[in-house]
Amino acid sequence: MSFDLNFIGILIGAIMASSVPLILAASGELITERSGVLNLGVEGMMIIGAISGFALMVVTDNLFFAVIGSMFSGLIISLIFGLLTQSLLTNHVATGLALTIFGIGMSAMIGKNFVGIPGKEFPLLFLSLKESIPFVGPIFFGHSIILYFAFGLPFLTNYFLKKTKTGLIIRAVGDSPTSASNQGINVTLVRYSCILYGGAMCGLAGAYLSLIYTPQWIENMTGGRGWIALALVVFATWSPIKVLIGALIFGGITILQLHMQAVGLRIPVQLLSALPYIMTIIVLVVISRDSRKIKLNTPTSLGQIFYKEK
Amino acid sequence: MNTKLKVSEISKIYPGCIANDKVSLEFGSGKIYALLGENGAGKSTLVKILSGVVKPDEGKVFLNDESIKLNSPLDAKKNNIGMVFQHFNLFETLSVFENLSIDSDKKDEDLRVLVNDILKKYNFKIDLDVPVLNLSAGQKQKVEIIRCLIRNPKVLIMDEPTSVLTEQETDDLFVSLKQFSKDGILIIYITHKLKEVLSLCDEVAVMRKGKVVSVSNTIDEKIESLANKMVGENLNTIKKKINNFKNSEEILKISNLNFKSDDPYETNLNNLNLSLKKGECLGIAGISGNGQNELFQILSGEIITEDTSIMFRNKEIGKLNPRERREYLMAFSPEDRISQAAVPELKIYENVALNNFKSSNFFEKGLVNEKKIKEHSKKILSNFSVNTDNVELKSQFLSGGNLQKLIIGRELITSPELLVCFNPTWGLDVGAINYIHETLIQINEQGKSSILISTDNDELLKLSDRICVIYKGKLSKIMSADTVNAEKLGILMGGGSID
Repeated sequence: MSFDLNFIGILIGAIMASSVPLILAASGELITERSGVLNLGVEGMMIIGAISGFALMVVTDNLFFAVIGSMFSGLIISLIFGLLTQSLLTNHVATGLALTIFGIGMSAMIGKNFVGIPGKEFPLLFLSLKESIPFVGPIFFGHSIILYFAFGLPFLTNYFLKKTKTGLIIRAVGDSPTSASNQGINVTLVRYSCILYGGAMCGLAGAYLSLIYTPQWIENMTGGRGWIALALVVFATWSPIKVLIGALIFGGITILQLHMQAVGLRIPVQLLSALPYIMTIIVLVVISRDSRKIKLNTPTSLGQIFYKEK
Repeated sequence: MNTKLKVSEISKIYPGCIANDKVSLEFGSGKIYALLGENGAGKSTLVKILSGVVKPDEGKVFLNDESIKLNSPLDAKKNNIGMVFQHFNLFETLSVFENLSIDSDKKDEDLRVLVNDILKKYNFKIDLDVPVLNLSAGQKQKVEIIRCLIRNPKVLIMDEPTSVLTEQETDDLFVSLKQFSKDGILIIYITHKLKEVLSLCDEVAVMRKGKVVSVSNTIDEKIESLANKMVGENLNTIKKKINNFKNSEEILKISNLNFKSDDPYETNLNNLNLSLKKGECLGIAGISGNGQNELFQILSGEIITEDTSIMFRNKEIGKLNPRERREYLMAFSPEDRISQAAVPELKIYENVALNNFKSSNFFEKGLVNEKKIKEHSKKILSNFSVNTDNVELKSQFLSGGNLQKLIIGRELITSPELLVCFNPTWGLDVGAINYIHETLIQINEQGKSSILISTDNDELLKLSDRICVIYKGKLSKIMSADTVNAEKLGILMGGGSID
């Protein structure tokens, strides 16, 4: 077997593309969780984003509307979660699970009429550069705008949480909603905003799948990526940069093991398929071992219902 | 500038409880006011109203003769009313500076200058860039105070500020408060500790069951007079007769005990030696965080040690777990009632059942014998004067005092030979403290032994036969209680030595 350099470049490009939905969904969920809200509905919000993006693309024939619409529908479905958990004070875990089940069912219902319709080609940027520069070209160029956004997002999120006042307020609410409320911070508003943002990012992650990564609608096409995104946030100990690393490892091993299967290595297929999950967890656990940092990054009030004294 | 604060006819009713009943009080700057009352007297509700956290059902608040609306904490801030809460309102995982800046409209650089000025002026020593969870309780409180000072408060309300402080930290706090008062800040000091009222405050208002029952100058008051007003009945003072146990049977012996922790936040224990006689109370003093937690856990079996290092009634028990130790008639009352001693969400009888023995027969063939547990629980409630007879009540609805009585009762009803308690009266009101103290003296009189780990020196001097001090994981020599006083303990607690 001989790998040329350009092939490795293309492989890395493919790995990056496959990790985009994880980065988007996990970055959104990270903000939600940092405010102390545990939304287990990531998978449901992603799949709703996927179908609404695809449906809008088919109906309007406009990719811009499709992308914005997918974010909006993710936002709307997370609003249901917000209403239940923040205004009606239901349990976060149960509500999130219900949201996922609801999202999967709903998307299958809407999606019935869209099965088998071919997708529309999504514009890729810098295609000429991709062709002309070996190795580096396929890594950095020829991607959709959403990929570039996704790779910038963890850094933006990190900056936002650490350096801006709003980020500080979100961390404070996640640490102690009671203290925040006593300081005059509107905890419910902050948490609602974070939930909606998380919903929008999950919607976008879904749209990436149905519009760009595999441009078509297949029932249940998120295939558990929402759960992986959730796990990434926890194993990355709520650090956006580690989320990026985790997503890349997961995407990387997913692609690599497919190639390993293709070349017919004598390793059981099941083991190869399990490899991305195992490796991602191992690597993230190893790089997040500092118990002090975990304590500082973990939103102390995660999953707790907040009542305001009257 | 002079500040006048007046609350007029404030009422607040919670379901089943009148927290504030037409409370009217007046305050003026330049003085420190005490608001005194037992737990549940309505002090905290009143200050929550003043800080905008809770809205009153009736009544008005006047600041400099103008009626002000306090609908939210922001309103209190706008009116320059600052509040330091009993349970700190800090964000543990954020740095000190982040905790301060979240509340400020100032630019970070300007704020840092301002905070450094405050630190210098009041001689506070706090690193602004460490996370709050690394600070001691005293330092955390200073952060809260600084947060108020940033806003140039006219009124500063302190809600039971010393309940988590050591004596040294308390002294420091009083110095600062007097300085603030001199600088023209009106200070309202909420407490149930009588000594503090007399040593710090100029005027005192006593609250009982939601009503103000007395307002007076502290010069005209004594500890006894305030206590009686606060409790509404005459309290008898207790003092234990110190006994000599030279010839009594030895019940517990700890020899050459070492403990090294992997957790950097825990204290290592070095070469502990002590012995305890039948019927004796050994007091262990010290500033919190000097190894008391670890020592308690070693005694209770939460931390396992060398078998030979702990002998209880001539048996080696170092490797036994808490349940096994209880079978040998040891009993334990941990410091934290809510998270260590009881499960707040469980009912009273379920909490009682947690402390099960083979001999108690609470469980038969893996099934819960509810009837038996409930009978047993009822006995505890009545024998130990817990203020309810409903064993189905969730433990979280018990006041601190009643919960502590339940816990001590649960431990003592099996007639253990040794009771180890850790800060048994922490945060309790005078009535409950008195009751617990009487109970602890009683068990010694019945020939049972006790180890009292406490940060309250008065309590230790009142109850112990012999006392020693734990400092940085080491025990001082053990002294007879009649040869020590608070001053000597203070020196040892600070790491000094006495002859």
